[in-house]
Amino acid sequence: MNVLTRGVKNAIRSPLKSGAIVLMFAISIALILSMLVARGSVLSKIEEVKATAGTAVTIQPAGVMGNMGGGDPLTAAQIATITDTANVTSINSTLTDQLGTDDTNLTSSLELGSFGQRQQRFESSDTATTSTEAETSRPAPTPRTSVTGTTDVNSIATDGGDLTISSGEAFDGTSSDNVALVGSDLATKNSLTVGSTFTAYSETITVKGIYTTGNAFQDSGIIMPISTLQTLTDQAGAVSSVTATINSSDNVASTVTALKASLGDDADITSEAESAATSVESLQGIASLTTAGVIAAAAAGALIIVLSMFLVVRERRREIGVIKAIGGSNGKVIGQFIIEGLTITIIGAVIGLVLGVLVSGPMTTSLVSSSANSTSTTETAAGPGQGGRGMGMGSPGAAFNQGAAQLNTNLTQVTASLTPQIFAAAVGITLLIALLGSAIPAWLTARIRPAEVLRTE
Amino acid sequence: MLTIEHVSKTFNTPGGQVQALKDVSLSVNTGEFVSIIGKSGSGKSTLLSILGALDNPSTGSIVVDDTRINTLSGAKQTQYRAKKIGFVFQQYNLVPNLTALENVMLALEFGGYPATSRFDRATQLLESVGIEEDQRQRRPTRLSGGQQQRVSIARALANQPAYILADEPTGNLDSATGKKIFDLLHDLSRSQKTTIIVVTHDLEIAGKTDKTFILKDGKITTK
Repeated sequence: MNVLTRGVKNAIRSPLKSGAIVLMFAISIALILSMLVARGSVLSKIEEVKATAGTAVTIQPAGVMGNMGGGDPLTAAQIATITDTANVTSINSTLTDQLGTDDTNLTSSLELGSFGQRQQRFESSDTATTSTEAETSRPAPTPRTSVTGTTDVNSIATDGGDLTISSGEAFDGTSSDNVALVGSDLATKNSLTVGSTFTAYSETITVKGIYTTGNAFQDSGIIMPISTLQTLTDQAGAVSSVTATINSSDNVASTVTALKASLGDDADITSEAESAATSVESLQGIASLTTAGVIAAAAAGALIIVLSMFLVVRERRREIGVIKAIGGSNGKVIGQFIIEGLTITIIGAVIGLVLGVLVSGPMTTSLVSSSANSTSTTETAAGPGQGGRGMGMGSPGAAFNQGAAQLNTNLTQVTASLTPQIFAAAVGITLLIALLGSAIPAWLTARIRPAEVLRTE
Repeated sequence: MLTIEHVSKTFNTPGGQVQALKDVSLSVNTGEFVSIIGKSGSGKSTLLSILGALDNPSTGSIVVDDTRINTLSGAKQTQYRAKKIGFVFQQYNLVPNLTALENVMLALEFGGYPATSRFDRATQLLESVGIEEDQRQRRPTRLSGGQQQRVSIARALANQPAYILADEPTGNLDSATGKKIFDLLHDLSRSQKTTIIVVTHDLEIAGKTDKTFILKDGKITTK
């Protein structure tokens, strides 16, 4: 029998006591691992959500949303300012307009409905009549066809990817030809195919392709090169919305600040990344909670081991004194107690890590689902306000809603994942506790003098 | 030979300083069976602790076989205890979770005895003090007081020490068992020429030893 076997044997000399210590320690280790897994999963999801939010920043004239509101379009000088802003890698400009029955020979594929009628109730060709007369003299409202001028047709896609062109091909965004992509619903309504022509702004426009997005509003519209629309509507250089791409998600916030400073009150600036930052606040709260949980569980584990070993050493002062009296060196006695402490710690750690692997998944799900519920409630409450803006084709509001919905979906899909790094961190913390739990008895046993113990004889 | 010269020991207690030994001097020849008697609190156990290098005197010196042990380092004193001293305590003080055999083997380990022959040596020692084969694998709680003291003596003899220091070895035993233990120590003294110093308050035992020192209020007188 040597120090090792004596230490191991001592660790199990009182199965009930050792079992209780091991169980308490195992629970704290399981908590540490679960908290680390939850923290790792949440942090990873936060990064994923931020990455999904992208680096796009939308700049619109102040007070304008799609075709609603009022104000002046962005000027060429403002576009140049945006382009020259640090970290802006590219921009995509759009100009939106609506074609009435006087502007085009196309029939809108959208039914006006009560909602559309309400939107157009103020419009009248006779502004001099009294209100009562106006009610009777206004022409019956008719649905309009939305037209978007853009440098990048893919900006119309509602899924954040490339625009699906079911027939024909996309046009060159920088051209000024009288060409257009026509939404599938509008094309069906007017029997348009690739190569067909229609009239808009008294000009003949050739259909270059038919696109489909799955969105009834978008599929009832027309897309043109922005230069073409600017010319046709006599708005040279005018832009109703700019989407700027930032070189890194880390620079989005600073770039938004810079743009707000340079454009002042003339523009409204929004970014998905900022929205994402708000959305992930609840997850960041969980991450902080789990960090605190790791610290608390580690402290509890360390306290359990240290106090237990303290009591063990105190209880066996006489035995330690006797061992020293019969020639046991400090090294041998300390070694024996370190082995004893390590045995209890290792058994507890193994049980705790297995337990942690089993409970970390449900614990993460439980923590995140309660947070996701509160996030969903927030998004639902914000919904109607944002939906009301989506009148203009290519409205950033529509794309923004889509992005927000995607963010919300992402938030609810936090999956607990035990990575080797997290497992290594848990083992590392356990080892630290084990060392602490061994150092304390070592220090205590070294201080015990055999004469003091045997003096009680 | 063991010589103590002008040894004093003072303890600091919450109630003030207590002088347990006052200028104690004595010498014990190799192979002698010596007893130290005195009332409770007279300083007997303190003197034994100093002789066994469990404690250091406040003043004075202890020379054992030409080595001044009270100035040795802690590690050297541990070696001295492991190889030259065998302790026998009134409470036996066997390690509770080790068997009788393992308790003796523990002392052999500390004395640097080769691991391969510890079992045989421990078995032989237990046999020599009268511990039966079936009792050797028992833990101390399953042995009688007399049996525990025999194991304790076997443990003290493990490394063939030059000195055995026994603190009230029969104090917890009935008179018949106590006599057997005393006879065992006496025989060892005679057969192995081991110097034995016994602290006791039993005058009958003291009367059978080669030399008796009387401790009274920390001072010693030879009977």
